[in-house]
Amino acid sequence: MMMQVSFKDNASFIQNPWAPTPPYTVTETIRTADGELQEKSRAARWGEVFTGAQASPDREVVAVAKRFDLSVYHMSNWGFGLKLIGPYIANTVFVAVTGTAFSMFFALLGAYFFARYKMPFSGVLWSAFLLLMLLPGVANIVPLFILLKDLSLLNTLWALIIVGVASAQVFNIFVLRNFIEDLPKDLFEAAEMDGAGHFQQILNIVVPMSAPILGTLGILAFLAKWNDFLLPLIVLRDKELFTLGVGLIYLDGEYVKQWGQIMAAYFIASIPLIVIFLFTMRLFVKGLSAGAIKG
Amino acid sequence: MAFPITPEKALREWRLYFFIVPALVLVGTFAYFPAASAIYHSFFDWSGGETKQLIGFENFRRAFGDQVLWNSFGTVSILILFNLFKMIPSILMAVLIHRVKSDQWQYIYRVMLVVPMIVPGLVTLFIWKFFFDPNLGVLNNVLDATGGKALLVWLDGLFHWGIFYADVPIGWLSQPELILPSLFIWGFPWIGTVGVLIYLAGLQSIGTEVYEAAELDGVGPFKKFLYIELPLILTQVRLSLVLLIIGTLQGYGLQLLLLGESGGPGGRGMVPGLWMYNRAFIAGEFGYACAVGMILFLFILGLTLINNKYVRVDK
Repeated sequence: MMMQVSFKDNASFIQNPWAPTPPYTVTETIRTADGELQEKSRAARWGEVFTGAQASPDREVVAVAKRFDLSVYHMSNWGFGLKLIGPYIANTVFVAVTGTAFSMFFALLGAYFFARYKMPFSGVLWSAFLLLMLLPGVANIVPLFILLKDLSLLNTLWALIIVGVASAQVFNIFVLRNFIEDLPKDLFEAAEMDGAGHFQQILNIVVPMSAPILGTLGILAFLAKWNDFLLPLIVLRDKELFTLGVGLIYLDGEYVKQWGQIMAAYFIASIPLIVIFLFTMRLFVKGLSAGAIKG
Repeated sequence: MAFPITPEKALREWRLYFFIVPALVLVGTFAYFPAASAIYHSFFDWSGGETKQLIGFENFRRAFGDQVLWNSFGTVSILILFNLFKMIPSILMAVLIHRVKSDQWQYIYRVMLVVPMIVPGLVTLFIWKFFFDPNLGVLNNVLDATGGKALLVWLDGLFHWGIFYADVPIGWLSQPELILPSLFIWGFPWIGTVGVLIYLAGLQSIGTEVYEAAELDGVGPFKKFLYIELPLILTQVRLSLVLLIIGTLQGYGLQLLLLGESGGPGGRGMVPGLWMYNRAFIAGEFGYACAVGMILFLFILGLTLINNKYVRVDK
């Protein structure tokens, strides 16, 4: 549906929003009030494709003609859509990629800390983390806004990244800790015998063995950033900094909507996710159910 | 479980603490500090700037007399009821996919379920918004084409609702009476990807011998659902029930985008989260917004505690 509307201009969209436009143009020659002849073109209706062009009933039409015409498909909509939404996508990709990378890195370190040894105080720290799972985020948003203002992070993309990383920590550490604890202990011991430090143990044991769950968590984090709009709506002011979420809201709020362009923009907004999805489909389908159970 | 460690070894491994520091700092600054700050500021008359005035429980007293807030709690309870009803298609869908015999087809159905996730949530939302459009939207066109609108107009005449008229397009999101019904229709056919996948994972743990025994006893498909599948995925159902109630209670993104920051015409779509947002960012009453947030938080905390006590989720 997005696909087919993205080729239309407003006139043919209002005439027929739900089916693709047939590749014909109908030209009507109209006699205007002062006797002059005037030509008007419009996209054909589907009924006219087979029966020949029909004159619009409410005008004084002298002649109608139908011709095969591919220009009813407005490729330029895609250009406009890209121009509208391209910068937003660039911002979002920056936020989502950076945020996901940092959040996975920190969560891996944190989970390793909890899973590797029972360090003194780790029980206390763990319950501090778990308590946070009970806290709903909704009451936080007002003070968070003020905090970001005081840190002069308001109206920057870094605010989105940092807050995103912080809020994803608890869940990721929770899932990763369970996973790392299930890894065979002998591996760690052997690595330690060989003189591997903790970083090397993470790099050579934890990362390869927990790749599927890391991938799943990464995808979930990426998706969450891609779809987020509440935080950007509050944090961002400048149009150049808008991420996809705010950008789409902004587009939706314009008074005269060019539906074809908007639909093209919607479609373009989905493309990066489609690419990710094609590469990681198995992980997606399997990992989502696994992650859902653990969480 | 993690390795036990002797105090001497722990001392030698002190550097390990650095691993937890980044996560701790982030969580401390951006989760604990705002929460504490929200509690603190809910006792102040504060509009976000330097000046604030301690007014004790005045914010809370105001909140208890705030008609909009209580109405919004009513609205959100209705929404929770709607969402409970909307769980049913997901459960049925999961059972149907589970009963597909061929593994390959099961996989294909799963993929088909996941595919909608690639459309960004916001885009889905805007397309739904467009479905509700009075003149161009699908909903009104379908109703016109199938005679559903004539039926609604007839019902209107019967019960004197004064909502539906024959020659006026139905403004699903612009008539106060229709906002709740619109939110109910929202997301039809109400099949949530994550929900179905959770139920499927639960169904997969049912052994085949249960089914064989049932078949020997000549149990029909419907009874199989009632006596085998439903009880065995009850854990998952309860889990998503809890997540759903809490999510609905604190969610306001949908209402904000669909109906605007004042909850649509007549404020019928106002939910507590949106009221908090509205007070803070539209009216600039940050202190009062904090108080509303605290009240909402207490509700959710209560629900979570009840849930932890009575709804055991067995791993």
